[in-house]
Amino acid sequence: MFDSFLFYLSAFLTCFGAVLVVLERNLMHACIYLLMSLIGTAGLYFTLGADFLAATQLVVYVGGVVILMLFAIMLTGGGLENKKDRLANLLSYIPPMGSLKSYIWGSITAVAFLSFSINITTKLVKSTEINGSIKIGPTVEQIGVKLLTDHVLMFELSSVLLLGALIGTAIISRPSKEIFLERK
Amino acid sequence: MNDNIVSYVLSLFDTAPTPLLVFLIFGVAIFILVNVMALIGGLGTYAERKISADIQMRQGPNRVGPYGILQFLADGVKMITKEDIIPSESNKFLFTIAPILCLSGVLATLAVIPISSGFILTDLNVGVFYLLGVSSLVGVGIFLGGYASNSKWSMLGGMRGASQIISYEVPVTISILTIVLLAGSLSFKELISGQGGYPWTWYVFHNPFTFVSFFIYFVSALAETNRAPFDLPEAESELVSGYHTEYSGMRFGFFALAEYIEVFVVCGVAVALFLGGYKVPFGLGGDTIFGQFFQIGSFFTKTFLLYYVVIWVRWTLPRLRVDQLMSICWKYLTPIALFNLVGTATWIWLFENKSMVELLMSALSGSGSTGH
Amino acid sequence: MTLYSYLLISLFLFSCGIIVMISRKNIIAMLLGIELILNASAINFVAYSRFLSGNIDGHVMSLFIIVIAAAEAAVGLGIVIRFFQLKESIHIDSAAELKS
Repeated sequence: MFDSFLFYLSAFLTCFGAVLVVLERNLMHACIYLLMSLIGTAGLYFTLGADFLAATQLVVYVGGVVILMLFAIMLTGGGLENKKDRLANLLSYIPPMGSLKSYIWGSITAVAFLSFSINITTKLVKSTEINGSIKIGPTVEQIGVKLLTDHVLMFELSSVLLLGALIGTAIISRPSKEIFLERK
Repeated sequence: MNDNIVSYVLSLFDTAPTPLLVFLIFGVAIFILVNVMALIGGLGTYAERKISADIQMRQGPNRVGPYGILQFLADGVKMITKEDIIPSESNKFLFTIAPILCLSGVLATLAVIPISSGFILTDLNVGVFYLLGVSSLVGVGIFLGGYASNSKWSMLGGMRGASQIISYEVPVTISILTIVLLAGSLSFKELISGQGGYPWTWYVFHNPFTFVSFFIYFVSALAETNRAPFDLPEAESELVSGYHTEYSGMRFGFFALAEYIEVFVVCGVAVALFLGGYKVPFGLGGDTIFGQFFQIGSFFTKTFLLYYVVIWVRWTLPRLRVDQLMSICWKYLTPIALFNLVGTATWIWLFENKSMVELLMSALSGSGSTGH
Repeated sequence: MTLYSYLLISLFLFSCGIIVMISRKNIIAMLLGIELILNASAINFVAYSRFLSGNIDGHVMSLFIIVIAAAEAAVGLGIVIRFFQLKESIHIDSAAELKS
């Protein structure tokens, strides 16, 4: 139990956080549960030996994306909750499907999904060995080498993408002149 | 993958690591470290009151215990026994979780602080990066504390606090990258092993770019902990103590404790990166257990010196306005930090990672031998 | 743990993300679902890279997924804020018409 304590803790945080994001109606609470799920994912990366990736996940997602979402939720009115009773809320989770085509596609998707998950679960229950033969070393240098030799095109393009996102977001979300004049 | 206090203790006793033993050693070490840090947080409040009194030519607290040293215990008892008030219109879940997020963000950074070469809880390969990531949880906690209090002043304080923290992360990260370039690794042990015990082997005197980078890091880290001249989110004269207005009792105690421990962590990281970490001059003690105590003493001495400078700066400089704060970050500190990064990379390429002192000594000895 | 435990976790996260995207009417809530989906695929990449192949390309791919998810969240939230300034609501049905 002490061997894979981190794995069980991170898996619990991740899955429980995801379930609570589905079930929670208040938007700010859902954002905090997403934060919990992202911290659990960082723990899972640590158990997989991806230390640089886990730290990147913590820096980018926890310190960037979650704060951004909280700011956006606050600036757009706070996510008002609807006040139905509990049973009607549960029934409203099932999305309404009207035509025969959507029922056929829905059942095909459900069958595929169930078969996939049953396949994985049986393989999980049958195999119990923990694969420790691949050595886990520090990944920072290897990722650095790969980024600058094999994947240098993606690296440069992602820097252009980030520059475009930065400038684009700043221009898009600036209030226009009419709104300033109207508020005066 | 890493090498930590467990391996050190096991090498002292020459036993094999079983998972239960590893868990127990970690548990004891974490217990000791968290208690020592809480003590440092409490004594930090006492030190702040005494040092500010000294600067302002008055006596600080001197009633409770000899020289008033038990004042922080009295403050703690007061905070614990206060009535826990939650505003009725507030979002109770977010109100409860904000101080917890702040404190857990700060306590999680304690896992990688290099106190001595044996007493690191875990020497992650990505230690510095992990520390930066986890200390962003404090920003989330501040924002939630401001939002959940359902009060105008708290909301303004929370927004300003969160935007200040995420803005000043940029110069902090770039200054840390300057040192990472020199050492070649992100783990704290590698960063410290590139330095020595003597001041001229520290990274702060390695080249002029890292010298400037030390001050950039120090100023930006002060701003990140909402401290010193950058404490507008909790300014008493402007925002009625900002994002922790509505908190009383131990909830406010969590915020205050998180701030003081975070100042200690930031000073500890500055010492580890720039000022030689736990290395003792003259190599006192060597590899024995006494060497560990010397290293712990060296680390704590340097960190407390920086802590004194932080408190000194707080009671000397006036507070900055929020637009001055943002313009300092984006218009001055970030370009200087980027210039330092490029300058350090150029220095490494030109001089093959030799420090200023080494170059000077080789130039002097070279000219001395050919001068005759 | 084994490869299949990580695959199961990523399958569970992916399905939770899909359910969030289907059943919510708030645009920002759908962005939360997108983040869950991207996280699930990143765990998948890293798990395969650790257990089945000897190289580190899975980590690089997950790094780029994180970068792209952050950029997309930023731009998406910028659009949502602009939309809120124009229409005063973030219900997805108020974005159904082309011209206001």
